[in-house]
Amino acid sequence: MNKILRTLIPFDIAKGLAITGKHFSKVFFTANRRKVPLHIVSEYPEVVAKVQPRYRGRLTLLKDEQGEIKCVCCLACEKICPTQVITIEKGKKEGRKMPFPVRYDFEMERCIFCEFCVESCGFDSIILNHQFELAAYNREDFSLGMEGAGQNMFEPSPVGKFSVAED
Amino acid sequence: MFKNEEMEINLGPQHPSTHGVLRVKLRLDGETITHCRPVIGYLHRGVEKICENQTFFQGQVWTDRMDYCSAVANNLGWAEANEKLFGITVPRRAQYIRTMLNEFNRLASHLIWLATHALDIGAMTVFLYAFREREDILDMNEAFCGSRLTTTAFRIGGLREDLPPGFEKMVTKFLAKFPACIEEYENLLSENRIWKKRTIGVAKLSAEDAIAMGVTGPVLRAAGVPYDIRKAFPYAAYAEMDFEIPTRTEADTYARYLVRMAEMRQSARIIQQCMDGMPEGPVMAKLPKILKAEVNEVYHATEAPKGEIGYYLVGEKGSGNPYRFHVRAPGFINLQSLPKMAEGGLIADIVAAIGTLDIVLGEIDR
Repeated sequence: MNKILRTLIPFDIAKGLAITGKHFSKVFFTANRRKVPLHIVSEYPEVVAKVQPRYRGRLTLLKDEQGEIKCVCCLACEKICPTQVITIEKGKKEGRKMPFPVRYDFEMERCIFCEFCVESCGFDSIILNHQFELAAYNREDFSLGMEGAGQNMFEPSPVGKFSVAED
Repeated sequence: MFKNEEMEINLGPQHPSTHGVLRVKLRLDGETITHCRPVIGYLHRGVEKICENQTFFQGQVWTDRMDYCSAVANNLGWAEANEKLFGITVPRRAQYIRTMLNEFNRLASHLIWLATHALDIGAMTVFLYAFREREDILDMNEAFCGSRLTTTAFRIGGLREDLPPGFEKMVTKFLAKFPACIEEYENLLSENRIWKKRTIGVAKLSAEDAIAMGVTGPVLRAAGVPYDIRKAFPYAAYAEMDFEIPTRTEADTYARYLVRMAEMRQSARIIQQCMDGMPEGPVMAKLPKILKAEVNEVYHATEAPKGEIGYYLVGEKGSGNPYRFHVRAPGFINLQSLPKMAEGGLIADIVAAIGTLDIVLGEIDR
């Protein structure tokens, strides 16, 4: 008898619908009134997406206070990279004791953003910035070097219109 | 006219319910499966060979990309196998943090299993709710190591960095709401008549068959065998944790669902214990600059969310690369029980059988 009743009256479905209904009403009736909205979907392209401080984005070369490149070509990052995306050419510069990178090429399309390069760097001369929008239309846009507008290793890539590029 | 004719069809490799690029060759008699053979290898990248050509340190990034739903658990196995090979002792605080992140990863993996498995069988709502909680765990991954999915969370010898500021707050917030969330999923599914009809008695795998095929993880525990490497051969800080191994005896899809739900509760318990008993101290052991192996071989198995993941490493004298590297992937071994589960059943039930095995093809093909 009990079993027949349970089959006839859909308690289980009502239980499920109660949960979805509870969530729907909670979000629907407080939609524009709460400071922290209950819905968890972020309105990403319109609202800037925030990332955590340790976020691993694109590789960036750093300069010191005098505008000098901090990198001294120890090639530690080149050696530790699991996908061999970094190529450094050593050179000399007038008035600088340490070696100077003439070329610092970074093939972003193969980069896996593991941060091993930053970890191996003993001179704090590279970081991974907070940029996550790295898509581009041309393959050449993924080859980064020291020169070229919008494609150099010092500034964030221009494609990232919405992400927090630097803090 | 068609009475004795059997039909051969392919399920996959581009079918949404095969969870990746799994192809299953099926021979059907009407709607009954008479013959079932999984065909794998569409996602083969040669991870084992690649790792043999890279240093011990670099090899870790490839373990992320095997089972991408449980990258942290894979990292843990790799790091511990290497520590065994080099004889490194990891600081206690690092062990605790590893245990905690591993359990968070188990939650994330089980949530994605629940979401996709329920979606395959026809319960759409659970999918959205489970991904909501998984998002919090991925945010914690991001806060700890900077990446959400391919974490590269641990290092050989410990951790790269300590927990970030504000991490404990995130954990406390998550643990406060998570038990209610599990109850929500159970209210949606456990008594649902469609769910019960699609899972009870479907894809049975008895304990004898499971042991004979080397099946591990929740699939084995749902057959009544209380085998869990966290208890049997404790690693990381599991020896100091107080938790239970949930088992069922029905050995069907519904039992596996109940086992995994109970496991999620136990994981939350372990995380709470890790937070309470977190010791102070360093997180990285002292290591030589370049890891050079002796002639030595190790096999280290850990309990990944999907089952036993084992790393076999052979060192060569004076070399920075492993001489031989092999992974015992849980999904790969569990998948061979698919014919046993599916043969004799209906074609609609093979979707449930694939879902309940919780396979990730990145790990099976490697």
